[in-house]
Amino acid sequence: MNRRALWILLCVGLAALLAWLSFAWQPPTGVATLHNSAQRSETPTGGDFTLYSADGPVALADYRGKVVLLYFGYTFCPDVCPTSLSVIAQALSMLTAGELERVSSFLISVDPERDTMAVLKAYAPFFHPNIVGISGSAYQVAQVARQYGARYMKQKPDSDGRYAVDHSSYTYVIGADGKLAASLPYASPPQHIVDAIRAQLGAAPAN
Amino acid sequence: MKHSTIRRALLLAAAFPLLSFAADGALRIDDPYVRLVPPNAPASAAFMVISNSGSTERQLLKAQSPAAKSVELHTHINDHGVMKMRQVDRIAIKANGQTELKPGSYHIMLIDLAQALNEGDSVPLTLSFDDGSTQQISAPVRRIQAAGAPAPAMDHGAMKH
Repeated sequence: MNRRALWILLCVGLAALLAWLSFAWQPPTGVATLHNSAQRSETPTGGDFTLYSADGPVALADYRGKVVLLYFGYTFCPDVCPTSLSVIAQALSMLTAGELERVSSFLISVDPERDTMAVLKAYAPFFHPNIVGISGSAYQVAQVARQYGARYMKQKPDSDGRYAVDHSSYTYVIGADGKLAASLPYASPPQHIVDAIRAQLGAAPAN
Repeated sequence: MKHSTIRRALLLAAAFPLLSFAADGALRIDDPYVRLVPPNAPASAAFMVISNSGSTERQLLKAQSPAAKSVELHTHINDHGVMKMRQVDRIAIKANGQTELKPGSYHIMLIDLAQALNEGDSVPLTLSFDDGSTQQISAPVRRIQAAGAPAPAMDHGAMKH
């Protein structure tokens, strides 16, 4: 009898706690986001790398004097990557022909397992002929991602073996000196990318 | 004059429950489109605005299309800059509200496309809702543009090499 009363009390207590949690408790997402983005902007330093396109190796060091755009994504991505690549394409189309000549854009596949060089070559230029798809071994891609602060995580495959890759969706702008100049978040308007490119073009000695 | 006003008001009052009954569960699909993706892309997505003029919440439970091997309802969670795409069981449309399926958010994912999509193609979609109703729509394939930017000049010849 006494035991039963205790159980009831416990259940009521738990229910009250649950009710309170569901009404009053808010996960501190805003704070976490701020903290995280602040950390983000401090840590990634960028830097040189060599990855591969269908037409051979691509070494960032060979692009001194040019402004380079980097985007980490994958071709199975149905929404976020095409959106970001379309925005980059729009930005590129807003440049003058002279400006565009001094810009090179790369899609780095975070899914080298499925995205072969041939797949990337058929995919990336569809958005804009300036965009070249590059990749490498899982280790090489991870290395470059770490340099730039890009994050990704392959998800569990479904019954058909299909899988998604969670990934950060920044457009990295590298100046003519090879240094990481800006990291533009997902859904940045094309004009922001144009501004970031022009800021670097302006800083670069014309050659 | 006064009489007719009262009569009109009475008529309106009488008609109102009927109207609201007729409108209940009325779902409207506006501006459906499917994203144009490169010809070798294995997946694309359909977007639209679903409006619910009814007085109860409705749920989109399923979408089907002959354009893809499987069709799933998905959303994106932006977790500290990492875009996490997740399948969802349902997409709710609030009573007297609307839900926008849009890039970076809810979308109908078309997986393993039956054939490459071309701009201007129409993708048939059948949407099934929790009240048992279905809607057949035809979503044109569209190149996605960010708002307020000119369309990129696509030079198809230049892409061949």
